[in-house]
Amino acid sequence: MKYLLLLNNEASEWDRWRTLSKAEAAAGRAEEIPRWNHAFAWAAEQQIELDGLELEDPSGARVVTRRNGETIVTDGPFAETKEVVGGYFVADCTDLDQAIELAQRIPVVEKGSVEIRPLVEE
Amino acid sequence: MKVLALLWADEQGWSALTKEEQEAWYERYRAFGAEAAANLAAGAELAPTRSATTVRVRNGETVVTDGPFAETKEQLGGFFVLDVESLDEAAELAARIPAAEHGAVELRAAHVEEAAA
Repeated sequence: MKYLLLLNNEASEWDRWRTLSKAEAAAGRAEEIPRWNHAFAWAAEQQIELDGLELEDPSGARVVTRRNGETIVTDGPFAETKEVVGGYFVADCTDLDQAIELAQRIPVVEKGSVEIRPLVEE
Repeated sequence: MKVLALLWADEQGWSALTKEEQEAWYERYRAFGAEAAANLAAGAELAPTRSATTVRVRNGETVVTDGPFAETKEQLGGFFVLDVESLDEAAELAARIPAAEHGAVELRAAHVEEAAA
């Protein structure tokens, strides 16, 4: 069963990252790497196939709509929420419990959240 | 560059459609998929938000709740990963995704690690 895991960061975390210098941001990222690697190692052990992306700051998001044949592009993100998605994984898990086990190991889960959505498989 | 396209739409509106109407939308998605194949790296439809589960860990304790992390007027119903040269190109593609006509397509650029100076 495939699941989309949405990695949500607190909006205040995004704000904090914006105040960091490049060097500080790089150091902050480096500090988190072992915890990410720990999650990846666990997934590999469980033979969970993982795919995903880390996203850029939501302040660069765009929203595209089309009404009456006309395209409108506005600055995003789409939803004004306390948490904003900062990355995702698609994980092939045995069941929801395993997806929750995985979610628990993803570092953002401690400050933000991980939303798990089953994919519709054709 | 890779761009995540998040497809937001009213899922109640979707479930109110007849099978034939849903099939007509699927047909349009298949047509988009075929047309844009060269720029599509991945994509999937999501099961309705009633099947969503949100996980948080606070002070070492895992809290699992049913439902999406935020209640929104429109819901995330699917996504594509676009492989494009620019956000402008991504926006052009996004305008051709059927969800743009009744919902919205949110574009989020993937992070690219800068080489250390």
